Amino acid sequence: MSELSASVWDLLTDALEAYRDSPAAAEWLGYHMTRFFEPLRIAVTGPARCGKSTVVNAIVGEQIAPVQAAGVQVLTWYSGGDEPAATVYAADDSAHEVPVEHGGGRLGLDLGRWRHGEISRIAVRWPAACLDRATLIDTPADAAAGDEADAVVHLVRNVDDAALEPLYAAQDSPVARAAPVGTVLVLCRADEIGAGRADALSSARLIARRHDRDPRLAGLCQQVLAVAGQIGYAGRTLTDQEYAQLRDLAAADRPALEELLLSADRFLRPGADTVVGAGARRMLLDRFGLAGVRLATALVRGGCRTARSLSRELVRRSGLDDLRESIDQDLIGRAEVLKARSALLAVERLLATHPRPQARPIAGRLEQVLASAHDFRELRVLTALRTGRVPLPADLAAEAHRLLGGEGTGVAERLAVDHPATEARLRAAAAEALVRWQEQATNPVFGRQQRLAAAAVVRTCEGMLARLTT
Amino acid sequence: MSAPPWLDLLDETIRVCGTRGRPDLAERLRQRRTRLLEGTLRVLVVGAPRHGKSQLINALVNAPVCAVGDGVTTLIPTVIRYGATPAAEMVAASTGERVPMPVEQVAASVGGRVGAPGRPAYVRAEVAIPRQLLAPGLVLVDTPGIDDPGSPRARPAFAALGQADAALVVAEATHEPTASELDLLRRVASACPTMTLVLTKTDLAPDWRQVLARTRDRLARAGLPVRVVAVSAALRQRAARAGALGQLAQESGQAAQLNAESGFPDLVRHLQRDLVGQVEVLAGRTVAAATRAALAELAAPLRAELSARGSARAGEPELQLAQRRLNALRRRSTRWQNVLSDEIADLVADVEYDLRDRTRTILRRVDEIFDTADPLQVWDSFAEWLEENLSLAAERNFAWLIERAEWIAKAIAVHFPPDQPGIYPESTFEVPRDLFDAVTRPPQPAFERFTPTQKIHSGLRGSYGGVLMAGLITSLAGMPVINAISLGVGGLFGTRSLRDESQARLKRRQAAAKAAAQRHVDDFFLKFGKDSKDIARRVQRRLRDHFSAVTEELQESILSSARAARQAVDRDAAELSRDLEQLDALQRQAQALAGRGALAVA
Repeated sequence: MSELSASVWDLLTDALEAYRDSPAAAEWLGYHMTRFFEPLRIAVTGPARCGKSTVVNAIVGEQIAPVQAAGVQVLTWYSGGDEPAATVYAADDSAHEVPVEHGGGRLGLDLGRWRHGEISRIAVRWPAACLDRATLIDTPADAAAGDEADAVVHLVRNVDDAALEPLYAAQDSPVARAAPVGTVLVLCRADEIGAGRADALSSARLIARRHDRDPRLAGLCQQVLAVAGQIGYAGRTLTDQEYAQLRDLAAADRPALEELLLSADRFLRPGADTVVGAGARRMLLDRFGLAGVRLATALVRGGCRTARSLSRELVRRSGLDDLRESIDQDLIGRAEVLKARSALLAVERLLATHPRPQARPIAGRLEQVLASAHDFRELRVLTALRTGRVPLPADLAAEAHRLLGGEGTGVAERLAVDHPATEARLRAAAAEALVRWQEQATNPVFGRQQRLAAAAVVRTCEGMLARLTT
Repeated sequence: MSAPPWLDLLDETIRVCGTRGRPDLAERLRQRRTRLLEGTLRVLVVGAPRHGKSQLINALVNAPVCAVGDGVTTLIPTVIRYGATPAAEMVAASTGERVPMPVEQVAASVGGRVGAPGRPAYVRAEVAIPRQLLAPGLVLVDTPGIDDPGSPRARPAFAALGQADAALVVAEATHEPTASELDLLRRVASACPTMTLVLTKTDLAPDWRQVLARTRDRLARAGLPVRVVAVSAALRQRAARAGALGQLAQESGQAAQLNAESGFPDLVRHLQRDLVGQVEVLAGRTVAAATRAALAELAAPLRAELSARGSARAGEPELQLAQRRLNALRRRSTRWQNVLSDEIADLVADVEYDLRDRTRTILRRVDEIFDTADPLQVWDSFAEWLEENLSLAAERNFAWLIERAEWIAKAIAVHFPPDQPGIYPESTFEVPRDLFDAVTRPPQPAFERFTPTQKIHSGLRGSYGGVLMAGLITSLAGMPVINAISLGVGGLFGTRSLRDESQARLKRRQAAAKAAAQRHVDDFFLKFGKDSKDIARRVQRRLRDHFSAVTEELQESILSSARAARQAVDRDAAELSRDLEQLDALQRQAQALAGRGALAVA
């Protein structure tokens, strides 16, 4: 357990002591103490029809979230498990196991006897590697992630004030402002940009990158990504048969193919000029979308000779790779910090709603943890460096990024010590970095922000040295 | 061309808005009137951002006039109308100045990057292009997207809708309308009576036909009988390119086919037949909607006031206030009457005591004087002194009376509202003319005088006894009865008796003088005391009369103000009802106009 986790855990136990006589408060704290050791919870939020379920499916790589449920959207949790299973929590909080159909990477739930409004949430357990490391929460349209989630993947179709409102709202507490955000902003349905042109995805990626550098967004999210969930999911689960069909489609001469892919209607037209049957075309369209078919055929023509390479290329272009990497690195990689953040938020909330004299020292401790948590500071500086809010010379910026854990939070990764990373080598590298950055922290050329960033790096180096020495 | 039927109604409503103190409403309607008389048909294209509003317009007019592109959004409205030659102007935000600009650059100036900070430098762009579609007066307006229909950001868009004749609401054909899109439709319907839902991007949506059918069904169920058209801007633009490139019959045939697939011919027909073709009907409908909205806004405060009056039973507050003030006045008047009678009783007692005290001092002084002085010699000067002292006492006493009376008047005035004019009596009493008649010079009593005859007689009577007594004794000694000794004793006795007699007489005179002075002072006390008591009583009467009059005056003023309030209330209510009736009559006319419009469209 890291220093931060330990101090947050102590805070939780002390708070439990202070609130021992209040059953509600004790239950709340108990819940958060259990949660502290559970896998990270990542909520996928966003407005209606922006592809939340598709993104969940694309992340897991299997169709577990019901896409296009007929108007009924229920809060659904997906966590890892040995066997597929599902539990429905009714409005009165009673739990009911429901039968699960599974096969071919699809989840089917028999919710026959439940009516809309009776279900408060569904908990699905599904054997998938990524679900073991993090629990995904698929939220109804426009629902806030709330306190339940430690991190958020927020989907928007358009980066404007209205779309960002939920993110601003989530910043509405001292803890939330002090601790770094666990939010990844996703420009969703990227394939529909530019009326579904084949280059829509690269265009979307450019837009996302531009927003990523926007200082206004820096405090709201870790990263901005463009993701085409449907193409990503289809790419991840591309079958050989589908590849063969796409290859056949692409084999047609260019004007004919263009003509065919002009609109969904034309593509589905029974007498269309292609060797691929109408039924197969319909399935392709449902799986990839018109933009996806356009992209896939263009890729096949451009040189993807195997199903594997096409799959890889589709996933890469859809932005799904970036998203998964971001979830791995920015969210799961920071699970400990994000968990600590959730726990601190829980304690802050408790202190605000149930103030009492015995809890006053707890409030003081909470502030102390916030102020001294170096992990929080590291993340803030990292974000500032990445967005260019604090400009450093390129080589220094790269080193600072590495030392602060931007490429991995292990000591060896931070210090860039190759294998074998013996303790002696690590210590030497850490000491060297410390001296170098101590100079930077007092560099007269730098402004205040830059010196503060350098000081944060110094503190990181000191921490590593201390850990190595003991 | 005869005046359209709606013109009178609109003018009358504008006039009413002006007289009712709502120049803003009047101005809005006047703008409306100008637009309507221009004979143009203003069609606003609204919808959520990134749903293809600008694409729709560009495809409709076959020109890249609106801002489209990846990550680009429309920041300010673009107004597109007919013009024989292409021309464009930007309207500056601060000055309203119009800046000419080449048509092909307008889109770049109107659009901006999504989420880019800063305010645009222009408020709108106006573009004129030579297109047959626009020739009959159709004006298309591209608007910034409405992301959340309920948010304040959407307000300018709805305000603009109020000035439009029709609205094209844009949604995507990939899915049925979401809750927020239905909300937008409902809000648009309330702001603009004529609207059409356009589903865009049918080229990307495999199931757009089902979506279209379900959307129609859903809108019908939601009570929004809106015409729904599905289009694909991409196909239309493709068709336009093919048509422009292809000179061959086959190519233009293909273009026509693409155009048909794009769904735009339907939309164009709808615009031409149902909107441009029905411009008069639509104008009527628009006027009906606009006037009804304005009239409703005018009537709302009147109605609220009237119902508030009705529930408070007209003017009751004023009457209650008057009643409260009357009660207060009554309480005050008993209080001041008590004060008056108490004070006057005290005054009478005090004045009497004062007068008695003063006269007793004078009498003591009189006794002292006449213990020694011979009234015969001093009477005249004494009488003068007494008169002087009595008049002094009377004056002092009277001055004190006046002072006390003034003080009483003030003490009573405290019980009246301080701002009441004429609260102090001009004079508290009148001085009786014979007030100081009580002070007179005491008449001289008849004093016993000691005349020389009496003196001789008295001396002789004394000396006779002495002569006889001494003569008898000396006759024993052989001397004659009348001898020197007896004569000497006789003389002594005579002198003595003369002195005694004179002393006794002086005493009697002094007693008489004292008695006379006493009587005189008593007379004065009686008379002056009576007078001053009378004055006090008169003061009491006078103060009572004065303050009763003041009270009555107050009461009258309260009652009359209550009556006035009541009358004003009645008059206001009548006026309000009359105003409302006038508005209702206009409202009925608008209703009739709307009914005619609906019939004509059906």
